[in-house]
Amino acid sequence: MAQWLLVVATVLVVLGGVWGATAFRPGGRNIGTLSCMVLAFICQMGVLGIRGELRGKCPLGDYGEILAFLAWALVLFYLVVGPAYRLSLLGLFTAPVVAVFQVVAVLPGVMDRDPVAVVEVDPWGEAHAAFSVLSYGAFALAAIAALMFLVLNKKLKDQQLGSSLFRKLPPARSLLDSIVRLTSIGAGILTIGIISAFLMERDSALGSHLIAAIATWLAYLAVVFMYFWRGITPRRLSSSVIVVFILSLLVFAFV
Amino acid sequence: MGILCLGLNHQTAPVEIREIFAVSESRLGEHSGRLCEVEGIEESVVLSTCNRTEYYAAAVDCGVASDHLREFLQSQAGSRLRVEHLYEKQQLEAARHLCRVVSGIDSMVLGETEIFGQVKKAYQAALEKGATARSLNQLFQKAFGVGKKVRTNTSIQQGQTSVGSVAVDLAEKIFGHLRDSKVMVIGAGEISRMTAQSLLSRGARSIFVTNRSYERAEELANELNGESVRFDQWHEVLQEVDVVISSTGAPHAVMKREHVEAVRRKRRYRPLFAIDIAVPRDIEVEVGDIEEVYLYDIDALKEIAMEGKGQRADQIKLCERIIDQELIESGLFGS
Repeated sequence: MAQWLLVVATVLVVLGGVWGATAFRPGGRNIGTLSCMVLAFICQMGVLGIRGELRGKCPLGDYGEILAFLAWALVLFYLVVGPAYRLSLLGLFTAPVVAVFQVVAVLPGVMDRDPVAVVEVDPWGEAHAAFSVLSYGAFALAAIAALMFLVLNKKLKDQQLGSSLFRKLPPARSLLDSIVRLTSIGAGILTIGIISAFLMERDSALGSHLIAAIATWLAYLAVVFMYFWRGITPRRLSSSVIVVFILSLLVFAFV
Repeated sequence: MGILCLGLNHQTAPVEIREIFAVSESRLGEHSGRLCEVEGIEESVVLSTCNRTEYYAAAVDCGVASDHLREFLQSQAGSRLRVEHLYEKQQLEAARHLCRVVSGIDSMVLGETEIFGQVKKAYQAALEKGATARSLNQLFQKAFGVGKKVRTNTSIQQGQTSVGSVAVDLAEKIFGHLRDSKVMVIGAGEISRMTAQSLLSRGARSIFVTNRSYERAEELANELNGESVRFDQWHEVLQEVDVVISSTGAPHAVMKREHVEAVRRKRRYRPLFAIDIAVPRDIEVEVGDIEEVYLYDIDALKEIAMEGKGQRADQIKLCERIIDQELIESGLFGS
């Protein structure tokens, strides 16, 4: 059931992306993306709810669940940030990333078909996993906004202003504001995740997974600190957010 | 029943003639009703905007209706109204004209959207007054449908065609709304004044004006409700502003890379939009190499404006194709 719901969510996300792409044609309007994303979000909630019931804890027990949770977090932040800041095109850029996460999650063997329910739950461990993955939703969306800024920046610098993509991209300042807010929110949420990690029951002092998580946290804090303390050029801010996000995905290799 | 359109607009009549025939929104219905009393006219809609007044009528004999309508108009304006001020369209031509008006391709600002609402109000007023029946109802409903289709399937309203409007569009692409943006004008030339005015009209928060002649800077600053800055102090303001418009008559660069480099940290690397309208150029090309600076000179802005004009011309052709196709498919108005 959870897998089927995830398939439906993926179809909806792809549909939202296609709908968003139609906004590029003359006079096109991006009206369906948001609705598709809302419906996909509801399906994702269903997936996570079912998996949570099966596991008896936060559904982050295998790569399929982590990817589904990540996709959910990404859509959650899109729904919070996109419409509020009139970043309609963000949906078009977000949809493929969410779709890829979910397609991988439904591949055979990625999501455990018969998960074993746990007997005892460590609340700090649950908090660590949930807050950490949630922060990745914010970081992923920040990276998408950063990519959009880099595209816009290149077009403005090269004075290539004739394309539909250029016309539909949000203003540079809106994108930069979203990058900073999402990165700051993500860093804040990850801070809670890291603190929870120190409070949860662990086998060793600092596992490789926790070291990678702390490195990610420090890297994002450095970006935020640089921005607020001495300023950073918009291009460097965007590049840093993208690079740190890609590198931070390595954390999952140690899960 | 035939369709007739008699009108005058910004292309055919000067403002002193247009204002004679201008009708306030609240009296459109009443005027449409009065027009139905003119001999030979069965139905009517009066459309009046700042750029045009048009009389749409349905009549059994359009020739007779036209003669009486002209007499009626002449009685209002006297000898000041000349034949060349008026244009007349009948049947399919009248329908095509209304579709062009509703679509914004007959407007002074090509592709403007306001006209659609104005035509709707004029029609609604006539409808409520009982001045329309089958013929004009069909005509206006068709025109609204065509107008919507044109706006959905073309980008007639996109692309700017003047240096000032290109600059304003770019500023909005960089900063979004301009209400938090500060502008500095270096050199009090005409184009920079107009560009600064456009930025202000779109909400730019404050303007600094600097010029070699401080009196001229003060004059323009007063006109723009801004602040004058002495020419040897402009670089001190640079850290505050988001947009720089430069158009001095200096034979050498006024703004150099070192000026911007000196304030980058203080500006916290915020984007800076530099518009160089001067020839020879006022802003060193190397300024554009700085990451957060978007430098556009007069040639770049003109090229974009030319592209806008080219795009508009293509879009007009597309709009007209849609209008013709829709009218032919309707089989109405003698098509």
